[in-house]
Amino acid sequence: MRTPSLKPPRPRIRYVSPRFQGPAVMAFAAIIVAGGAIFWKLVDGAFQRVFLRAAVRGHYTFDSAYDIVRDLLAWHLAGLFVGVLLAGSALVLFLVAATRRGIGKAVETLRASAGGDLSTPTGTGPIGEFNRFGEKIDAARSETLETVIKIRSDATALAEGGISPEEFRLRWDELKQRIRGIAP
Amino acid sequence: MSGPGAADSGFLIDRRYVIGLLLRLFVNFAVGVGILFLILFFALSRPLPGDYAGIYQALRSLSPFLRPVLAVSVMIYALLACGSTSALCVYILHKVAGPLYRMELVLDQYRSGGPTRTVSFRHGDQILALAQEFNLWIGTLRRDRQRWLETMRDAERHCLQDEATCRAEMEAALRKVAGEMAGYR
Repeated sequence: MRTPSLKPPRPRIRYVSPRFQGPAVMAFAAIIVAGGAIFWKLVDGAFQRVFLRAAVRGHYTFDSAYDIVRDLLAWHLAGLFVGVLLAGSALVLFLVAATRRGIGKAVETLRASAGGDLSTPTGTGPIGEFNRFGEKIDAARSETLETVIKIRSDATALAEGGISPEEFRLRWDELKQRIRGIAP
Repeated sequence: MSGPGAADSGFLIDRRYVIGLLLRLFVNFAVGVGILFLILFFALSRPLPGDYAGIYQALRSLSPFLRPVLAVSVMIYALLACGSTSALCVYILHKVAGPLYRMELVLDQYRSGGPTRTVSFRHGDQILALAQEFNLWIGTLRRDRQRWLETMRDAERHCLQDEATCRAEMEAALRKVAGEMAGYR
C-alpha cells in the first residue's frame, strides 16, 4: 500500500487573470468588431454602386462578379488588415507602457522599502489590477512599519528603566520573540 | 518615473516579448483577413450566365444577394479573429499575469506571518525586477533583524558578570536597536 504524501500541494500556476487579461481581450475584440463593421459598411456600399454600374455599362468582359470587384475588395481587405493591426499594435504598446508604469511604481516602492521607506504609497496607474497589487504591497509595508514602530517604542520604554529585573527579563524575551517575527 | 527606476522600466518587459506579441498579432490578423478573403472569393467567383440579358439580370440582383453573404462573412471573420486574439492575449499576457499572481501569493504569505521564501519566476516570465526588489527588501529586513538580535545577544553575554552591568548593557542594546529602527519611516 502506498503511503500518502505529506508534501504540501504546490501553488497552481494561474494562466488567466480576468481582471488583467479580461479588459485587454475586450479591447482587442472591440477593435476587431469595429474594423469588421466599418469594412462591411464600406464594402456593402461599394458593391451596391459597382455592380449596378457594371450592369448598366454593358461590355461584359468578365466571367464572375469577383473580376469586377477584385481591386476594390483587395484595397478594402488591405485597409481592414492595416487598420486593425495598427489599432491592435497601439493597444499592445499602451498595455506595455501601462504595465511598465504600474509595475515600475511597485518596483520603486519595494526599492524604497529596502532603504527603510515603508510609508510612501505606491500610487496609481491606468490599470486597476496593478493598483490593487500596489495596495497589497502598501499593506504589507504598512504592517511591517507598524510592527517595527511598536517594537521600537517598547524597546525605548524598556531602555528607560524603572522596571523590576523579573519584568525586565520577561519583556526583553518578549521583544526578542517579536523581532524574530519580522520577515520570518 | 525618474532616477534609477527609469532605467529599469525597460527591463520589466523584454523588447523581444513585445516584438513577439506584435508579430503574433500580425499573423493572427493576416489569417483573419485571409479567411474573410477566401469566403468572399468563393461567394463572388461563381460564373455569371453566358448571355447578355442573363448577366445584366445577375448583376442587378447581385447586390441584395451579397448583402447577407457579406454580413455573415464579416461576422465569421470577427468571431474567428476575436477567438484567436483572445487565446493569444491569454497565452501572451500570462507571462505578466502569472508572476503578478505569484507575487500576490507571496505577499499574502508574508502578511499572514508565514515563512517567506525567495521569489523566483518561470523561464520567459516578465516583470523580473519585481521579484528581485521584493527579495532585496525581505533580505534587508532579515539582515536588520539578525543585527538587532545579535546586538541583544551580545548584551546578554554580559549577564555572566554582575546584575548591574548586565542591565546597563541590555538597556544600551535596546537604545541601539531602537535607534537603528528609527531608520524605518
